[in-house]
Amino acid sequence: MVIVKRKELSLMERLFLPEIVRALSHSFRAIFQPKITRQYPEEGLPTNEVTRGQPRLTLLEDNETLACVSCGLCEVACPAYAITIDGQETDRFIEREPERFEIDMLRCILCGFCEEACPKDAIFMSDELELADFTRAALVYDIDKLKRPKAALQKRIDYFYKVNDRWRKSSSTS
Amino acid sequence: MSPQTFEYRPSTPEEIESDDPVHGELMHLSMGPQHPATHGVLRILIDLDGETMHNVEPEVGYLHRGKEKTCESLGWAKFFPHTDRLDYVQPLMNNIGYALALEKLAGIVVPERGQIVRVLLMEVSRIAAHLIYLGTTAIDLGAVSMFFNCFKEREKIYSILDAYTGHRMNNTYVRIGGVFADVDEGVEGMLREFLEGFPAAVDGFETMLTGNRIWYDRNRDVGIITPDDARAWALTGPNLRGAGIAHDLRKAEPYSGYEDYDFEVAVGTVGDCYDRYLVRVEEMRQSTRIAMQALDRLRETRGGEVLTEDRRYVLPPKEKVMTSMEELIFQFKIVTDLRLPKGEAYQGIESSKGELGFFVVSDGSSMPVRCHIRAPGLYNVQAIPLLANRRLFSDMVAIIGSLDFVMGEVDR
Ligand code: SF4
Ligand code: SF4
Repeated sequence: MVIVKRKELSLMERLFLPEIVRALSHSFRAIFQPKITRQYPEEGLPTNEVTRGQPRLTLLEDNETLACVSCGLCEVACPAYAITIDGQETDRFIEREPERFEIDMLRCILCGFCEEACPKDAIFMSDELELADFTRAALVYDIDKLKRPKAALQKRIDYFYKVNDRWRKSSSTS
Repeated sequence: MSPQTFEYRPSTPEEIESDDPVHGELMHLSMGPQHPATHGVLRILIDLDGETMHNVEPEVGYLHRGKEKTCESLGWAKFFPHTDRLDYVQPLMNNIGYALALEKLAGIVVPERGQIVRVLLMEVSRIAAHLIYLGTTAIDLGAVSMFFNCFKEREKIYSILDAYTGHRMNNTYVRIGGVFADVDEGVEGMLREFLEGFPAAVDGFETMLTGNRIWYDRNRDVGIITPDDARAWALTGPNLRGAGIAHDLRKAEPYSGYEDYDFEVAVGTVGDCYDRYLVRVEEMRQSTRIAMQALDRLRETRGGEVLTEDRRYVLPPKEKVMTSMEELIFQFKIVTDLRLPKGEAYQGIESSKGELGFFVVSDGSSMPVRCHIRAPGLYNVQAIPLLANRRLFSDMVAIIGSLDFVMGEVDR
């Protein structure tokens, strides 16, 4: 336990003017310290693979088809009810794909639960942060707006696998 | 220096009838909910007799979003982002409080390194929250440069959290059974650099405020709360300690391994705004100490796990989900239907505002029956009339600032 020391003001401090000078000198010294203001938006925010920006859907290597199998896990995991998925059958080997995949960016809180839940590496957080439009409807992103080539998200995917590499000494049941 | 002397003299009936501006009839004043000095959307109804406050009545609820009820319909894990938004100046602290309650309920043991990371995050959050207190209270009392100084330091913390979690605020990085990701060496280095420079910054704050006569006069002997009153009004945290009661949950009921850290509990003697300020400044120093110790322990436990290996509650590693059927099934089970055992649990943690408690009741299903949040801010708000009645109106700002609450958790 430490009892905080209440200061009694000395005469100098009570006179107030010397104190003003002292505090002002403290403030004026700040002029010569490096500037920390970022001139946003001229100077963009630095982003890297750690940044959890808006979620994006990954495309397979062919850059056309989504990796998503429309399992609905991200929809369930989303705490903001931002994701809507309608699935459909497909002739491809994976048998199911989304017919409609919408993320309401106005609802999305960028929590990253969808990324964690997805069992197909189909949704990842990109480093895209800026979000503005003139109508609400335009901010409900559909597949066209969400899909990204895998290469664009590769750094995030690698990072995600790195931090997710847990239970290394585990005795897996499988 | 003599304490502020101020004698209130009730107005006589003749004076109330007269046009006397000082002792005329009572004026009803509604301070807030948009008043910048109420730190959020708090409305305070005050009857003013001249400059003296009477019948001070705080009115809460303008930021009510139904968080507790939301928990009942969202499920256990999906409530984490909502806890961020309770006391939004220390999201990770709320995350951890909620996680600890769930872990108590389910009997989950967090690995050692996970606990160290949590302690580190909690102390850094505490520093950030106290910086907000200091900056906003100071700017309310007229010290504008303090605000910028504090926010400059806080900005450093937020950059570190950004580098660690990917978000500046609302981090949602705590999970049942630990934390989502390990603190890597880059972040560790940033933290160490910040913590080494921080005591000097605190000294700078003290240069600006502690002996500053305006700050001194406006805080000293203002809003005195006696130890008995503080206890009776269920105040916790720096407000209680400012009144001279050395109660700190980190010492009284240690969690996350706090008993292994070397730190002191700061207590005041008088219980006025000035004491509460001094206690918080000292707490920032102590938090720096704890965080430094946690950093040293992180170095010792490098390579350890931060998330417990409990297949019932923790998502399996992604690598295995892709390759093994067993893990895939668990992935589906945990995301869609995370069940906690039947029972109830309460866990309080020492947040920057006081005892932040989560009381969770489970019937064994994936939906909570009840999640009650003991938000320290609400109790702090309730003490306003006690401190403010019969004082000058200009003391109100100092009292509100020194009680330090965030309306996000008061109204929840
Ligand atoms: S980031 Fe969170 S809120 Fe946004 S879509 Fe994914 S799960 Fe939903
Ligand atoms: S969890 Fe992945 S695979 Fe399943 S629907 Fe969502 S994006 Fe598609």
